[in-house]
Amino acid sequence: MSNGISFGQYYPADSLLHRLDPRTKVLMTVLYIVCTFLCRSLLSFAVLTASAIVLVAISRIPIRMILSSLRPILFIIVFTSLINVFMTRGEQLLTPPEWKIKIYAEGIWTAFFMILRISTLIIGTSVFLTYTTTPIALTDALEALLSPLKKIKIPVHDFAMMMTIALRFIPTLSEETRKIMNAQKARGADFTSGSLLRRAKALIPILVPLFVSAFNRAFELAAAMECRCYHGGEGRTRLKVLRFRAVDFVMLVLLVGVGVGLVFLNRNGLGYAMK
Amino acid sequence: MSEILIHTENLSFSYTDETGADEHPALDGITVDIKKGEYVAVLGHNGSGKSTFAKLLNLILEPTGGRLVIDGIDLTDHEISDEELLRLRRTVGMVFQNPDNQLVATIVEEDVAFGPENLGVPQPELRQRVDDALEAVGMTSYAKHEPHRLSGGQKQRVAIAGVIAMMPKCIIFDESTAMLDPSGRKEVLDTIRMLNREHGITVLNITHYMNEAAMADRVLVINDGKLLLDGTPDEVFAQRELLCEVGLDVPQCAALIHELRAAGLPVKGDRIATTEGCVEMLAELFENLETR
Repeated sequence: MSNGISFGQYYPADSLLHRLDPRTKVLMTVLYIVCTFLCRSLLSFAVLTASAIVLVAISRIPIRMILSSLRPILFIIVFTSLINVFMTRGEQLLTPPEWKIKIYAEGIWTAFFMILRISTLIIGTSVFLTYTTTPIALTDALEALLSPLKKIKIPVHDFAMMMTIALRFIPTLSEETRKIMNAQKARGADFTSGSLLRRAKALIPILVPLFVSAFNRAFELAAAMECRCYHGGEGRTRLKVLRFRAVDFVMLVLLVGVGVGLVFLNRNGLGYAMK
Repeated sequence: MSEILIHTENLSFSYTDETGADEHPALDGITVDIKKGEYVAVLGHNGSGKSTFAKLLNLILEPTGGRLVIDGIDLTDHEISDEELLRLRRTVGMVFQNPDNQLVATIVEEDVAFGPENLGVPQPELRQRVDDALEAVGMTSYAKHEPHRLSGGQKQRVAIAGVIAMMPKCIIFDESTAMLDPSGRKEVLDTIRMLNREHGITVLNITHYMNEAAMADRVLVINDGKLLLDGTPDEVFAQRELLCEVGLDVPQCAALIHELRAAGLPVKGDRIATTEGCVEMLAELFENLETR
């Protein structure tokens, strides 16, 4: 069923993070990414990891879902950490000197930090954006945050409107695809066997009617939008007004505070600190 | 009641192909006056020009000839400015055939708000309008739902709410029930009638269902781009031969009366458009037959 498709993995729940203004969450995502790149010492990475754990806890998203968001990048994590282990040169050699493969303590540390950095980065962005913010709220937030660009003639509203319509029509078109596929199957089409080329060819009788109908929909929608007085973003009011509340402000300040704290903790030489 | 909302005089439209050489007349000299608060059904088979008529009244298509006056503004004697076009579309709303292709937003109440948002209606009036419109079509409890999870009839009611929220004087339904199942059709027709009766909105229902036409105060029959008949449903459905000639029919009950008369039975009366009227006529017929 097309109803089963959840776009963007939004996880409905009632948490502090869900209730934050989407603009705040976009800003926090940017800040959080900056934070992950600020970390250079063991202590600051410890604080960063702790902050990620706190975020997950207050977002009320099951740990299982968070871990599954890490799965697609598992390969990248393993690959970059191996590269770091074997390629980083340092002073403290761990392997016997006569070995061809040389592993330094610095390499291990760098790999460890890299794993932490990438995982917290992914956890941070998915907790702020994909899991707690609906795609439509995200579109609104981006439109609002990018609206200063309108001054230099970048059609921010138009892009947001396109995004909204795309989101609106994803379920409609996916249901249509299913219907067309069933219609073709009923006439003996086979989508599951044969060579790759053959299967790709079998998709043509699906794509052609799908495109034709999508264009027809577009024309009708355009007429319907004109009938409802759509004339671009100028002079438009909004039903849903984004509102910064005290809690948004507090969260932003807290995160900036964490960032500043991380910079100070970088000076602490406990364990290992990257140069 | 007697104030005229839509006035057309010899209204014509022809499609031209890309070269501009070949003209296909779709609408040919329609002259009609529609009063405020009227419930008008426009009948015609496919390709008769009834949808073109609807699209002209909302200036989705521009007339190629004749005069069109809506709400006191002549739309054919000068170039239409953007402000006038917006005003017109606020006065005359339109609900289309396919409910899926006219909903813009991903949440019901935001879709209803789309029209007034475009008009720049400020808060809190905007909120009030959306709530009132949803209330009027009985979809308040679905305000936060996603449109693609609703049934066809519900989607069409949301589309109607989206038009009502712009507070139009007239709503054109361009075969709005054609894609719905019987229960969805009933939902939409009940809503249309309620809007006409209780909110005084002028209704133009473009349809090819005879039963829907029978609900109207007045029926226009369009054939080959020309106005063939214009009258009350009773008057129009009395012309069975003429309707059959142009590929239309009469409601079943009216057909029954016509058949009985053809068989030589003296059925009196002229209220043949509605089932109730026909039942009364038949009851009278039976009484007369018994007393004879």
